[in-house]
Amino acid sequence: MSKKYCENFRIPKHLEVPMGAVIPAPVKENPNMKTGNWRTERPVIDHEKCTLCLNCFVFCPDSCWHLDEKGERMVWNPVYCKGCRICVESCPADALQNVNELEFKGGVVRLEKPY
Amino acid sequence: MAKEMIMAGCAAAAHAAKFARVEVISSYPIRPYTGIMMELSKLVANGELDAEFIHGEGEHAQVSIAYGASACGARAYTGSSGVGVTYAFETFSPASGGRYPIQMAIADRALDPPGDFGSEHTDVMSARDQGWIMGWAETPQEIFDNTIIYYRIGEDPKVMLPQFSCQDGYFVSHIPDKVIFPEQSQVDEFLPPYKSPHPLDPTRPTSHGPQIFPDQGPAIDLQRAQAMLNTPKVIETAIADYNKIFGRNYSPFLEEYKTKDADFVFFLQGAHARTARYAVDHLRKKGVKAGMVKLRFLRPFPTEKVAETLSKFKAVGCVETSTSYGAAMKGGNLIHEVRSALYDEPKRPAITSFMAGLGGEVVTFDEFYNMAKVLAKAAKTGKVDQYVYWMNFDNEV
Amino acid sequence: MAQWTKTPTGEKVYEITIWARGVTQDMEGRHLSLLLSKAADKEGKFTQAWDNYADLPDRVGVPLRKYARISDEEIEMRYAYENSEPNMSIVMDDTIVKGIDVLRGMQKGGVLVVNTKRPPDEILKLIPNKELLKTLVCVDATGIVGGTGLEGLDFMGSEGGVEAASVGAGISAPLVGAAAKATDRVKVENLVAVAANKAGVKAGNKTAVVKSL
Repeated sequence: MSKKYCENFRIPKHLEVPMGAVIPAPVKENPNMKTGNWRTERPVIDHEKCTLCLNCFVFCPDSCWHLDEKGERMVWNPVYCKGCRICVESCPADALQNVNELEFKGGVVRLEKPY
Repeated sequence: MAKEMIMAGCAAAAHAAKFARVEVISSYPIRPYTGIMMELSKLVANGELDAEFIHGEGEHAQVSIAYGASACGARAYTGSSGVGVTYAFETFSPASGGRYPIQMAIADRALDPPGDFGSEHTDVMSARDQGWIMGWAETPQEIFDNTIIYYRIGEDPKVMLPQFSCQDGYFVSHIPDKVIFPEQSQVDEFLPPYKSPHPLDPTRPTSHGPQIFPDQGPAIDLQRAQAMLNTPKVIETAIADYNKIFGRNYSPFLEEYKTKDADFVFFLQGAHARTARYAVDHLRKKGVKAGMVKLRFLRPFPTEKVAETLSKFKAVGCVETSTSYGAAMKGGNLIHEVRSALYDEPKRPAITSFMAGLGGEVVTFDEFYNMAKVLAKAAKTGKVDQYVYWMNFDNEV
Repeated sequence: MAQWTKTPTGEKVYEITIWARGVTQDMEGRHLSLLLSKAADKEGKFTQAWDNYADLPDRVGVPLRKYARISDEEIEMRYAYENSEPNMSIVMDDTIVKGIDVLRGMQKGGVLVVNTKRPPDEILKLIPNKELLKTLVCVDATGIVGGTGLEGLDFMGSEGGVEAASVGAGISAPLVGAAAKATDRVKVENLVAVAANKAGVKAGNKTAVVKSL
């Protein structure tokens, strides 16, 4: 019985997809959607003024602020911060301010595409 | 005085709806056709178009609003893409069976899963049995003209059927090109106002869609089948009038390119015809006798015209941008129509189909050259090795 | 050379990629590609100008792309999802240069135009693959136009809508004037004729700093 339809076509390696296009989901971070290059300004923290009220941690839509392991300082995530300034507006101690991204060397994952 | 604009297919369809003096627009956002409704909402807000702009709560509601408005005697316009078309599926038969000539502007989008904005014709192809007139546009100018022509065809008293005016998402709907605007007086001359034969009216109450017994069913179906049979004549008159008033050069059903002495042709519809013409030019320069035939109306399918035109060639390759899993030829949709049309011809070409451009993929020159290789061999030997070729994938045979 | 960048005789179509920030600069980015296309049209060239499909619908701050193509012969492959081999890259916000490889796919000897207040050397420090670049043009478009740069923002026109009658009222005007300084594909006189902010085009052309590498 000769093959007449699609039996003998093979999908090349670079186009392979899992069945039903079902893929494993990211747990803590999504390495396929790095949004650090969306920001034009980054929040800079003055640790002397910070009271550890955790407002920035609560209000950040991208979970880019968290306490370090010792629980003494706030740590900022440069890979995903989109520069939306919500943390700067919601800090009650005036410990945060916006500074243009080009004043800093590094701190951004350099990408080929917008994400 | 014609005005030349640079706009994409979405804006062209919206402005054509304005020229056609639509009265009720029902909208719901879904990419890529959403540009049409964005542009129409701006025209209505500016006062350039005097129409009711209604936002439905889903595509099902959208089409219901449209044919409800048409039942009252208004010219209605709506649209959708991709899974929106399949969500509205239940309403397609009432709109066609109740003989409400609404127009649905479709910018094709691949169906879910997973989530692909690219153009694929399966969304509207899956509604080809519902009794709607449907056809594809290749350029923004063509979708502009189709919007006006389809109203004239659909609202003709011998036809009275709704229409899908389709364009490929992104390729036609989002890439700008030159569009020539006519004068409003020219459009008014071509397109008379809509006269519903049985509008909803409190002074003359009517029932739309009552309950019937099974033995009354066939008569109603036959009525609609005969309306579809009347449509080709109406199409020919409408296109001839349009060419005369607006100075275009459309052929009603099939558009042929370099087919005079061709050995084989690409048979397709939609945006990729643009690339196909250049591919045919390159093939001709290399001495390969290729041609292209573009289908302008999928429903009503021009059976006699297709049989008469395609039987002149030695091989026909249907370029399918839609899928029909498990169908008779297990590939796309166009091959079934073409094979049925050619069945009675004494001299038949070898017919095969190529799955190309699925998921919104660009059909490149290399793919056309591979298709030409297969078709040249089929033209020489008179038979095909396979009925379906999936372009860009390796064939182990 | 990718298939879709070739003309019928095998020459390369001149490709321009424009990078802008979403929502706030979306309209100006589109106007920039339309200005280039309309001006080249006036010279009798074949052109194409469109938006990148995957970057829309835009969100505030996302780096998005607009495209333009200019060619002396007919453009055969109109359907492409991106300009994969740009000859010129125009960046409307200088922080994009730090986070995105704006020279990806560029043919050797390309041009980069940046809207920035900083000197060219500082911008060059941010680009690791500068061997692809032949010319760098820096212009302070936001300074020339003045204000916040958000005046006259109009959301219509995205998603396949039509442009308003006037193009080039904001920062796209000085940027296109600066771009004309580094290429002969489009002339400044034609750009001034089609832009709404004619003074801006001339000011951009005059004050742009061109650095050859």
